[in-house]
Amino acid sequence: MKIAVCVSHVPDTATKVKIGEDGKSIDPNGVTYVINPYDEYAVEEALKTKEKIGDDSEVIIITLGSDISKESIRKALAMGADKGVLLKEDNQRDSFGIAKALAEEIKSQGCELVFCGKQSVDYDNSIIGQLIAELLGYSCVTVVVELTIDVNKLTAEREIEGGKEIVESELPAVITTQKGLNEPRYASLKGIMTAKKKTIEEKPAVDSINLTEVLRMHLPPSKQTGRILGTDKSAVPELVKLLREEAKVL
Amino acid sequence: MTIPQFLLLRQPLPNNQINSLTVSPKESFVQQFFNNKENLNANQQENKKMIIKTEQDEIQNYLVDASNTKGFCDAVYIPENVSETAEIIKEANEKKQSVTISGNGTGLTGARVPKGGIVISTERLNRIVEINTEQNFVIVEPGILLSELQDTVKQKGLLYAPDPTERNCFIGGTVATNASGARTFKYGPTRNYIEELEIILPDGDFLYLKRGENFADDLYLTLRTSSGKDIKLTLPDYEMPKTKNASGYFCKRNMDAIDLFIGSEGTLGVITKIKLKLLPLPFNELSCILFFETENNALDFLIKARDESYKNRRLKIINSIDAAALEYFDKNSLKFLINDYPNIPVNAEAAVWFEQQCNENEDDLLELWINLFLDYNGKEEDAWLAMTEKDKENIIGFRHTISTNVNEYISLNNFRKLGTDVAVPDKNLIDFYYAIKKDVEEKKLDYVIYGHLGNSHIHLNMLPKTEEEFAKGKKLYKGICSHAISLGGTFSAEHGVGKNKTEYLIEMYGQENVNKMRVLKKTLDPNYIFGVGNIFEKE
Repeated sequence: MKIAVCVSHVPDTATKVKIGEDGKSIDPNGVTYVINPYDEYAVEEALKTKEKIGDDSEVIIITLGSDISKESIRKALAMGADKGVLLKEDNQRDSFGIAKALAEEIKSQGCELVFCGKQSVDYDNSIIGQLIAELLGYSCVTVVVELTIDVNKLTAEREIEGGKEIVESELPAVITTQKGLNEPRYASLKGIMTAKKKTIEEKPAVDSINLTEVLRMHLPPSKQTGRILGTDKSAVPELVKLLREEAKVL
Repeated sequence: MTIPQFLLLRQPLPNNQINSLTVSPKESFVQQFFNNKENLNANQQENKKMIIKTEQDEIQNYLVDASNTKGFCDAVYIPENVSETAEIIKEANEKKQSVTISGNGTGLTGARVPKGGIVISTERLNRIVEINTEQNFVIVEPGILLSELQDTVKQKGLLYAPDPTERNCFIGGTVATNASGARTFKYGPTRNYIEELEIILPDGDFLYLKRGENFADDLYLTLRTSSGKDIKLTLPDYEMPKTKNASGYFCKRNMDAIDLFIGSEGTLGVITKIKLKLLPLPFNELSCILFFETENNALDFLIKARDESYKNRRLKIINSIDAAALEYFDKNSLKFLINDYPNIPVNAEAAVWFEQQCNENEDDLLELWINLFLDYNGKEEDAWLAMTEKDKENIIGFRHTISTNVNEYISLNNFRKLGTDVAVPDKNLIDFYYAIKKDVEEKKLDYVIYGHLGNSHIHLNMLPKTEEEFAKGKKLYKGICSHAISLGGTFSAEHGVGKNKTEYLIEMYGQENVNKMRVLKKTLDPNYIFGVGNIFEKE
């Protein structure tokens, strides 16, 4: 079975994000990029599935982005994936534009099982997996925390508000992965050395229209500095008043 | 409860007073800085008010450090600038009030924990004054975080090489203790990177010291203050260990004056500006944790890598093994980390972390390291190599987590830290390692051993669960320190002496030499206000 994992190369959550001059994008200078953390669960689950099935299954990493995204593909290859595909795109696409290109590639690779992180931590749209499933006519199970795959059937436990839901589905399917599904393996030295020999296929991402447009980005308002109302108990009434009327916490 | 006046306000000094405080006999960086009108006025334009805390619940954080040593004081002063700092000191000196200088509380020897008097926290003296990318230096105030300094200069393509494990420390603290870290193996301790210092003396007078300008004449050292006063010091005559060392004053014949103040643990003056040497940022670095199935293999590998590194460095063989860091983790350390790092291989009995800076020759170097690893029965699947910047941070985090886990454990059980900071001559490392391990196992104490074994510098941390175990551990700790000293090593290679290790300094240098250190201190600090109880007892 061919298993696709869609991997996104995103700014590290610890990095300080600055908005670019156009006011609509992130300034990439000084940003550390990482493999999207939810995609690591996707890679791990794909590898586990392959190990379990044990036939000549193949795990294919598919990423849309510029050259720098190869770092995340390389990482997934070092974890043990078989092959990487970079769909080259230097411009920012919306979720539909990304899903469209990924879906085309998944189709041409003939993958029956697709893993995506439940969301990428940059734009947080939580939509790529669902769009791919829709575009390909696959079933889709999101926010999965436990998964069992038998021949042509899968059973998944997914997180829902206040509880869990167990669903069954036929293949082909798209699974979006949530923290807790597994513990992603570290890329071992051996994996890294082997990954150096694996090739990353590069091709232009198929054209697509964007259905949404970013108008403006802005950072959250900076925290206001504190105010000192006084140093003895005479300040208490004023403090209570402000907590009630201005901060609205009382 | 009465509502205290916790916030007393102080006005900054007028301009002319600042100038009068900073007349330097030399063309120093500080003078250049103060000559710059814009900088001069920076603090005043902000017109910030100095905070003085006296309420006990507000000063709690200043009364403890990461070793869980506890103390007490009357007030905590948080000056906004150097001139305010000088004023506080002058006043304290007139009142003969003891002054404890506080960094960020990450120390492990109680040096910043006061035993009465006042605390001066350097937290607001936290500016980067200048980064010079042509001459590769940075001038900072003492309260800047190491992590912030490292990150800022890195963005300018420069490296601040010293890397104490705790990156939340203040630079001032690292100067006061001559801190070191993993990369000391290649780059040496903080001392090697200090080019100039601005220091406030007890009477509010300033000292500006620039490396290479003022040397002792044999054992006689004269310091000229900014007001033109000469202070004549006689240096104690003892031989310092040849290992990495952070115990007692740095003293030797014909030494550079600046070295006396580096590692003086807040006992001689208050450091208010520091000029640090920077290095060009390496193109890339290899960072790798190797897990071994036997302790012997891990240690033998480490020794081999150490010797190879020394040899290649000496013979200037490029494209060869030349580690920047060589760190060790025993089995118990790995167990202590398993919750945070569940991927640690199950069979691992020990691990070694190495780092090496490299150019585009990464793959060739990696091959050399892998071959060496395989020579000691390493398995490629039992090795983690950082592929990305984030991975490198994670590996540094791995090393950091063992220290924080130990400190948290100690703090949770409310014991004082029982962690050795010993270093021994390289030739003694292996025997010493097995000897102290045997000792601690015989005492049936829980323990972890990790540290900078590339520098023959070992952190054995005992993890007592009861008072009885603590007492046993303390006795053993003493024995380990004595053992290291008897081999020509040191009881404190990087943490300093502080208040908790003064007895070992006497053991290492003898009472007479410690008395001479005290005389030296008294010459600079006649009222004995600075860092009372640090390095040696007052009497």
